[in-house]
Amino acid sequence: MQSSKRWAAVALLGLLPLSAAAKPIAFANGKTLMVEWGAGTMYEVQMFYAPKYWYSLGGGWLELDSDDGSKRRDITYVRANLLAKRWNLPGAQANVFVWGGLGRATGNDFAGTELSRNLGFQTDYETRRVYASLRADLNEAKSFSHRVDTLQLGWAPYAHDYDTLATWFVVQGRRYTGDLYSGTETALLVRFFKGGAWVEFGATTDGKLQAMAMFNF
Amino acid sequence: MKTFKVLLFAALIGFASIASARTIEMDVNGLVCAFCAQGIEKTLKGFPATAGVFVSLEHRIVAVQLKDGQDIGDAALTRAITDAGYKLIAIRRTDEPLDAIRQRVSNQKALPPVDASKHKHDMDGMPGMQSHG
Repeated sequence: MQSSKRWAAVALLGLLPLSAAAKPIAFANGKTLMVEWGAGTMYEVQMFYAPKYWYSLGGGWLELDSDDGSKRRDITYVRANLLAKRWNLPGAQANVFVWGGLGRATGNDFAGTELSRNLGFQTDYETRRVYASLRADLNEAKSFSHRVDTLQLGWAPYAHDYDTLATWFVVQGRRYTGDLYSGTETALLVRFFKGGAWVEFGATTDGKLQAMAMFNF
Repeated sequence: MKTFKVLLFAALIGFASIASARTIEMDVNGLVCAFCAQGIEKTLKGFPATAGVFVSLEHRIVAVQLKDGQDIGDAALTRAITDAGYKLIAIRRTDEPLDAIRQRVSNQKALPPVDASKHKHDMDGMPGMQSHG
């Protein structure tokens, strides 16, 4: 199962052309497809459409696995994202996003399907050379409650432009609640994007693959 | 009557300058990534008067080449940039074609402004040459 998931993620990444901050809203009248392979603990596929630059609607699928293999959750959800605040500065941008949604969850330690709730926020700051984001994503149902907190700090070795490939080196720290993973999961990533497409990949300090692709169109 | 003629003349000059403008160049804040540029490009290409769009993240400019004899009003441009999620700082209309703007921006990258103080020593050591300032 692990192997087939890995190949599926690699295949999806390969289908996407090369694409600083993963944002749930890319631009007005734009669609965003995101696929994440999260180091053996988290896998997610999302698709959103943004009628305006300040909100998007869509859905996704999320799998959460505990590092000891004892817990697994599969959540299918619909979600709305809202850009709560944006600061457009000369050569920089900062944002606060919030989101919420409902879904159906199954798990290996409870019976049947449960209604799940999703709430989250992200704040980020980005120039063409440095990037920082903090994200919290809560998924809970009657039988579980998991929050995934992610901090990313990025540095670009050169300032990219619209027509050039952007390259970023990112350090990520991630913490999970609800007995999914104890401590902080740290990963080192390299990220590329050009035009409307982005791909990033790397590994956690315990040697597990992490990859993500996002495509805006 | 004299005031009327002056106003009419000024209006005609202004109209002529707008009518002959081939390109609109805008300074925009918040442009930091390709996705920003992509959204703005998509919005501006939606105008029937748009012949082409150029975005420079480095120079924070967005340029729109206009089709012959057509124009996009300042209010529509302001709304387009604002609705794309960015902040419009200034609008300029020029006769400079889009390719010339692209070239100018490219040259500015390749040839950054010369700092004269760094080159003062070049002349100081040469017979018969004196540096100024």
